[in-house]
Amino acid sequence: MKQSSTGRRFSLWSWVWFIIGTIYFLVPLYATVRHSLRMERDVIGFKAYESAFADNNFWETFLLSNMLAAATIIASIILIVPTAYWIRLRLPQARRITEFITLLPFVIPAIILVFGLIRIYSVPIGIPFTEIKLFQPLTTTHFGTYILITAGYMVLAMPYMYRSVDTGMRTVDIRTLTEAAQSLGAGWFTIIARVILPNIRSALLSGALLTFAIVVGEVTLASFLGVDAFGPYLFLLGQHRAYEPAALSFVTFLMTWLAMGLIQLVTGGQGQAAGSH
Amino acid sequence: MKTRKNLFHLFSLLLLVSMVLAACGPAATEAPVVTEAPVVTEPPAATEPPAATEPPAADPMAELIAAAQAEGALTTIALPHDWCNYGEVIETFKSKYGLEVNELNPDAGSGDEIEAIKANKDNPGPQAPDVIDVGFSFGSSSKAEGLIQPYKVSTWDTIPEIGKDPDGYWYGDYYGVMSFLVNTDVQPEVPQDWADLLDPKYNGQIALSGDPRVSNQAIQSVFAAALANGGSLDNAQPGLDYFAQVNSAGNLVPLIANSALVATGEVAVRVTWDYNALAAVDTYAGNPATAVVIPATGRFAGVYVQAISAYAPHPNAAKLWMEFLYSDEGQTLWMKGYCHPIREADMRDRGVIPADILAKLPDVSGAVFPTLDQLNAASKLITENWDAAVGADIKAAP
Amino acid sequence: MAQTSLPLAPVKEPSEWKNWLGVSPFFLFAIMFIALPSLYLVQGSFFNQEGQFTLQNYLDLFTNPTIVSAYKLSIQISAATAFGGGVFGFLLAYAITIGGLPRGLRSLLITFSGVASNFAGVPLAFAFIATLGRRGFVTLFLKDALSLDIYRAGFDLYTFWGLCAIYMFFQFPLMVLIMVPALDGLKREWREAAENLGASGLQYWTRIAMPILLPSILGSMILLFGNAFGAYATAYALTGGRLGIVTIQIGAQIRGDVLHNPGLGYAMAMGMVIIMAVSLAFYSWLQKISERWLR
Repeated sequence: MKQSSTGRRFSLWSWVWFIIGTIYFLVPLYATVRHSLRMERDVIGFKAYESAFADNNFWETFLLSNMLAAATIIASIILIVPTAYWIRLRLPQARRITEFITLLPFVIPAIILVFGLIRIYSVPIGIPFTEIKLFQPLTTTHFGTYILITAGYMVLAMPYMYRSVDTGMRTVDIRTLTEAAQSLGAGWFTIIARVILPNIRSALLSGALLTFAIVVGEVTLASFLGVDAFGPYLFLLGQHRAYEPAALSFVTFLMTWLAMGLIQLVTGGQGQAAGSH
Repeated sequence: MKTRKNLFHLFSLLLLVSMVLAACGPAATEAPVVTEAPVVTEPPAATEPPAATEPPAADPMAELIAAAQAEGALTTIALPHDWCNYGEVIETFKSKYGLEVNELNPDAGSGDEIEAIKANKDNPGPQAPDVIDVGFSFGSSSKAEGLIQPYKVSTWDTIPEIGKDPDGYWYGDYYGVMSFLVNTDVQPEVPQDWADLLDPKYNGQIALSGDPRVSNQAIQSVFAAALANGGSLDNAQPGLDYFAQVNSAGNLVPLIANSALVATGEVAVRVTWDYNALAAVDTYAGNPATAVVIPATGRFAGVYVQAISAYAPHPNAAKLWMEFLYSDEGQTLWMKGYCHPIREADMRDRGVIPADILAKLPDVSGAVFPTLDQLNAASKLITENWDAAVGADIKAAP
Repeated sequence: MAQTSLPLAPVKEPSEWKNWLGVSPFFLFAIMFIALPSLYLVQGSFFNQEGQFTLQNYLDLFTNPTIVSAYKLSIQISAATAFGGGVFGFLLAYAITIGGLPRGLRSLLITFSGVASNFAGVPLAFAFIATLGRRGFVTLFLKDALSLDIYRAGFDLYTFWGLCAIYMFFQFPLMVLIMVPALDGLKREWREAAENLGASGLQYWTRIAMPILLPSILGSMILLFGNAFGAYATAYALTGGRLGIVTIQIGAQIRGDVLHNPGLGYAMAMGMVIIMAVSLAFYSWLQKISERWLR
């Protein structure tokens, strides 16, 4: 590869890979769109889209799923970042078992997870062997169910979130950062919130994007927990309609892509600044 | 290393504690126990499964309606809106009685519905299904497992004997006949019978609506084919042989057919229940052009059954739902969805079916109904032998 | 890199067990929401359809030929897509970071990857069927415009390799998303330092960059492997159950209208857990070796 004076390589191969990737990704999406425009016989039109958007359920479920996604992302960050940080800094022995735990959600089918969650959390939590009940079961209220499903989503997103955060931390010298911050008198909370977090923004963003997409598309947990989320709505539509599902999956693809673009814009695209090569 | 040992001990302890806690949880399946009739609201800690009630012969509907309204909601599962016009059925029920309906997982299979009852035994929340609509054989198996409670609707006597449990635990709701849905834009030559599907012009065009090792609909497609190929209700093997032939002719595509696939023509001939086919034709509205054919021979009727969960959090709403479904009004709404309701014979005799709906129902004369034993035997045969005859033949390249 | 403590303020080292306190929220969460629900999995795998205790389910894992070949097939697909996805995903990630493509494209690909990595199941299968199925628009275009009938030529989307090609749609983006931060971490100074000392591009890659990146690459491939291993909806939508992978078999046992031996399904899921544990052990071993380069 030729080297230009600014240190950037002229990259024919980079363009090649990128173009191949683009074709591979965009052609099937185009096929979906093409199908969705053909709802009326011999007419290229937006009837499928009209029909899909006229349904109030679409907006309600999409909004709910977005909110659940936001909750999942925040809760995951709060849970995982300090843990990954602590393990890197102080507890390398725990790394193997933690990685194993974070890979478990892959192999535990969602349907088993949801039935397990229901069995456990639909029963009041009390002190064993006594009649004393401490907490009402989560499943009796909408709010409680939302908490339960957010926990479920956190479990599903854990492999991706943990792996992203771990990769991000690997490239940052947290030991030195910690020592420097401590020598300046920072407490643990300050270290994590104001020193570590900003340094792993690019990784956090990846993890957040993945979590967002997972939550919005998730079907099994929402169906059995009785949460009116977007996944079950889309799935049901796909069973009996021919054109609206294609329209909707394309639109949600676009909307999610846009949302992610916005997030990246707002966070300043931190990755770009550091990644100048 | 010491830490490793400590870690191991800690984890074993935690695991042990969790297992003990889990085991000390709610009890396993119990046979339904006798309880009183209208219960107002379920206290959250209640774990008693309700039980056999007497048919409300002297009990007027008004009391049942009041009790149901006190409960306020009904939880259903596995009721897609486009299946037998359930969309309208549910809406009518809601507006007529002012109840809320929580609709769980419309895509659930019968196995899912049973699992949902089991997992929610102690859950009075909206995740526990009150009523289920399952394949024929699941009626008796869930009765045996103590998962459902008996209830005889007021129109009980007009339900044919073959379609209900004598003790009132489960009762047939509707039936359909296996048919072909054809995308005539892609395949203008419409097959008229099972034998036609072997023709090379259907190469790569035929698909079932499910996986025959799992889905009721697909299993009964194979059973139906058996009837047309020298088999009988007691012998489903010819169905397997037939599909093996269709597959080796290259006519069978391994897809699970749905609306979109028929619309693009990827699946030009879909084997499915007639009510699904006819409902699909309505939604297509001419794009693509389609035809529905009930095969000339091998007409097979498949029955689904209703039941009330033994652990239903809203037992009175559930009973009201059943009364509604088995009333003339409910049965007619199903007919609008092209399903043949179980009380059809009775309603025809009394002349209460609107003429326009009657006109749209396909001609299914000669359709045969399997008994429970025949169905169970055939299902066993088909699910166990599908792989060997036709089945999982997609392997990795060597 | 040697670890130097600043002489000004030595980091306090709390006692061993207090360290574990720091990770206790995570483990508590894991127990409450992963371990406990999974206990039903473990428990249920020891019971048969009649509700009696049995080890038959586990025996079936090894003796039942359908199940054994299901595992083989799942591992084959997962390994193939993990490798293929890993390699091409890495190339894409490279292209938008070090590879010198315009900044805007990087944003575009990253956000797209976020969405695409979760585009799976029926919509994904349908997208590919609508492209390369018998009535897919590319198939029809080739037939009409170039008189090329790819199906007659032997191409078939509904095969093992067809499914692999489809799985790539969510494997490539996943690899990209994980490798981009790692590639960002390759400091420019290292490259410059290497060149100052006379290293060629190849030497930089083989002696410096790759060893640093290797743990991340391997870790990501394991993630891809797990992702493919647990995938269900896409395979089901494409092959209707004709592809006997483990997840589809489990689904048949637990959800099905007929087979319904949940105990066997749970035992198979336990088998999946064990396989993931083995992969992880393998990855750890690989990581230990490659981490030598970082010290």
